[in-house]
Amino acid sequence: MTTNISFILNGVELSYEIKDHWTLSHLLREEMGLIGTKEGCGNGECGACTVIVDKLAVNSCLYLAIEVEGKTVETIEGLSSTEGSLHPIQQSFVDNGGIQCGFCSPGMIMSSKALLDENPDADREEIKHALAGNICRCTGYIQIFESVEAVKGMGGQNE
Amino acid sequence: MRLPRFEYLEPSDLEGVLNLLATQGDDTKILAGGTDLLVRMKKGLLKPKTLISLKALNELSYINEEDGCIKIGARTPIADIIASDLIQKEAFALFEACEKIGAISIQHYRGTIGGNILQDNRCIHYNQSEFHRSGRQPCHKDGGKICYARDEADRCNSTCQSDGATALMALGASITLAKKGTERVVEIANFYTTDGIMPFAMESSELLTEIVISIQGGKSSYKRLAYRSAIDYPIVCAGVFLSASDTKKDEIEDARIVVGAMGRSPLFLVQESFSLKGKNLNDTEVFKKVADSSMNSASTFAVHNVGSTLEYRCVMVSEMVLQALKGAAQAVVAAKG
Repeated sequence: MTTNISFILNGVELSYEIKDHWTLSHLLREEMGLIGTKEGCGNGECGACTVIVDKLAVNSCLYLAIEVEGKTVETIEGLSSTEGSLHPIQQSFVDNGGIQCGFCSPGMIMSSKALLDENPDADREEIKHALAGNICRCTGYIQIFESVEAVKGMGGQNE
Repeated sequence: MRLPRFEYLEPSDLEGVLNLLATQGDDTKILAGGTDLLVRMKKGLLKPKTLISLKALNELSYINEEDGCIKIGARTPIADIIASDLIQKEAFALFEACEKIGAISIQHYRGTIGGNILQDNRCIHYNQSEFHRSGRQPCHKDGGKICYARDEADRCNSTCQSDGATALMALGASITLAKKGTERVVEIANFYTTDGIMPFAMESSELLTEIVISIQGGKSSYKRLAYRSAIDYPIVCAGVFLSASDTKKDEIEDARIVVGAMGRSPLFLVQESFSLKGKNLNDTEVFKKVADSSMNSASTFAVHNVGSTLEYRCVMVSEMVLQALKGAAQAVVAAKG
């Protein structure tokens, strides 16, 4: 069965014909070519596929595409400015060694953005709590927490 | 991993859902948060032809205090329960349990309390990909005649790992199951069948609509052990409710001890609970004895199927029960001043 859905993706209103059994990560990656969002486990365990739906970080691998009807979706592609400059959170991950292989980074950055948009002055414990659902196998997390701490207070600056 | 094909239905109200459930067969599943259902579908453990989404049913998302009871709509997100002052004040064990369900980015905004109670039993041998399972004969839960968790077992030994169910059973909660034209209220302790294949006494035409916790003037606590708290299911957990006598404020009047993630359903330890009546709330030696006795009672139900060694899980039953007892007792003492 196919259904036509309308939603806002990275600030752009669009409608798309989808199949009912598609997940949001399938729609983004396989159909729209937005491969910045990664799919790791596909079971909601690793957090690599995290995107922001209506200001909340969710796992796009467990979110049916049909359920984003009428909602606002932000992906990693929507963070950088049109001129190509990085979002402060992305820049901080680069500057503070929060990225090694990079596979977890889009999910980490989207989880961080959801946190900082809601609570720009989040402390270390709050950052740990917000990123608890994102697995990184390279950095050991410390540099990631430091990256988020370095940028806190300016989460929405580049919007 | 891709989902198998299904038909997606999104009724606009409760009546619409119940009408659909009454006409659809066993091939229909309810989709609330989907954090358990969609994973099972991806692994080929469930192959429903139709999913009925509760997305539009905001009427099932609420937390109210009414007639001396806390009433929680089944579709209430876990995040709302954690944020509720009423739950923190009167049903602390449920707050502690919900805080530990999943990670903020995974489940807090998708997962619902109804879904947590109704999550199917798990087993390390069963909850695997279709490819993994295709390499061997099916187990009891998969439609076969073998149990990989316990040699020569004649039944399924899958484990109920729901945090919410263990806490709610300790709180003496009941649930409302609705079907077209009627509804029934079941105590959560009677809802579980101890059958690993069909863990709940629930018809396919029924929908869980409400959870009711009566406010009994006691205090509760929930403790759980898991490898990675944000992602993993508990390998052992315990929920405890204690209330003090009105006349002697240090004396335990009522006690309920429930151990989860050890058996086919959360285990309400009647004997251990009863033995606490009349005991002093500050007597940690008694708590230690009861915790050890809980370990002995709960251990007989456990099989090696949720990731850690059986020996470790059994020993930790005692620790979880002791911590929960201490937590609840301290809260009762503090409340009595």
